Amino acid sequence: MIADMREALQAVLGPVSEPVLLPGGASKEAWAVDADGRRLLVRRAGGGVIHRHTLSLKHEFEVLQAAHAEGVKVPEPVLYIEDLDGREAFVMERIEGETIGRRIVRMQVPERLPLQMAEELAKIHALPPEELPFLEEATIDRLVEELDEFGEPHPAIELGLWWLRENRLPRREPVVVHGDYRIGNLAVDENGLVAVLDWEFAHLDDPARDLSFALVRAWRFGVPELRLGGIADVETYLERYNELTGFGVRPEELDYWELAGNVAWAVGCLTQAQRHLSGRDRSVELAILGRLGAEVEHEICHLLEAQGVT
Amino acid sequence: MTERPTADELAEAIEEFLAGEVLPTLGDPRARFRMLVALNALGIVRRELAKLPPEDDAEQRELAARIRAGDVHAGTLARVKAHVETRLRIDSPGYLERD
Repeated sequence: MIADMREALQAVLGPVSEPVLLPGGASKEAWAVDADGRRLLVRRAGGGVIHRHTLSLKHEFEVLQAAHAEGVKVPEPVLYIEDLDGREAFVMERIEGETIGRRIVRMQVPERLPLQMAEELAKIHALPPEELPFLEEATIDRLVEELDEFGEPHPAIELGLWWLRENRLPRREPVVVHGDYRIGNLAVDENGLVAVLDWEFAHLDDPARDLSFALVRAWRFGVPELRLGGIADVETYLERYNELTGFGVRPEELDYWELAGNVAWAVGCLTQAQRHLSGRDRSVELAILGRLGAEVEHEICHLLEAQGVT
Repeated sequence: MTERPTADELAEAIEEFLAGEVLPTLGDPRARFRMLVALNALGIVRRELAKLPPEDDAEQRELAARIRAGDVHAGTLARVKAHVETRLRIDSPGYLERD
């Protein structure tokens, strides 16, 4: 496998070091390899797809290129390869920096990290959608469709969806969004944000929704009192984002979309468990998410209480 | 409640992991032997679980359908939350202690 990968990579990149398959990622492989003195990372298709609405590697590469061109901090995209030893792949710069959420919240992260998160997101939301015509618009209703595919009763998720329908916000003009913008998908070092990673969920959406995903409790990695991803309060993050975009996102919108983010992740847990149960990706890690979703459902109840629901 | 994965489906996932991913890496013959014994024991657990009647989720189904139809009134959230807490006491008891 490693010899084949090396040969396949040499054919497109010239002489390369021995590729190392990095741990994690059931749906995509990540290989570390060096070529011509450059540290590279190869993202290659794996067995299945995580989600119907994830981008193909080709489109993910194009989003990365657009983000890089507009000065968003991302790994430099190097090359798209339609057939790398039988599967689609792309090559990008290999970034140094911590990406494990649980470690980031325990690091001495610089105070400017929340500001940097706002700054990168403002740049992402200004990406020209016409250059990325394959991006689709997402709606809350899509979550209902996904939930119905499992055929399991989840009253807490239903109640979250009910509240989101009843309290729908005035529609903001959709922009290009990252779709999974949170601690865990950012590379961070002692100077703060190094790069925004994992672009496979990019789509068109309300910018306030993307801004709020990092608030979801599951992505605070055991530091629930710090609402922005376990690293800070939201105020400076929201202020800086509004200053840069002029969107004037209100705190109530964060509350709304934080709840929506929890509903999305509660459904996401079921989707992940389904990958195991359906036999597509057998894995005890995916299986247990079907049960850990109860934590997310509890958070939905907690947020509904804060909205005065009884 | 038929929460998935069911207890048997979880045991099956553990069995596949141990037999498929861990066992082949064990070089120590004693560890290999004990792993085979453990897998045997897990088989007993699974067969015992298979004998249990499936849990009745009719009440939860009805509640979910009523909420979907917009029939939400005072007390609905309290009822939903109590059920989630019952599940958490099995799925993640530590989570309830954090608040």
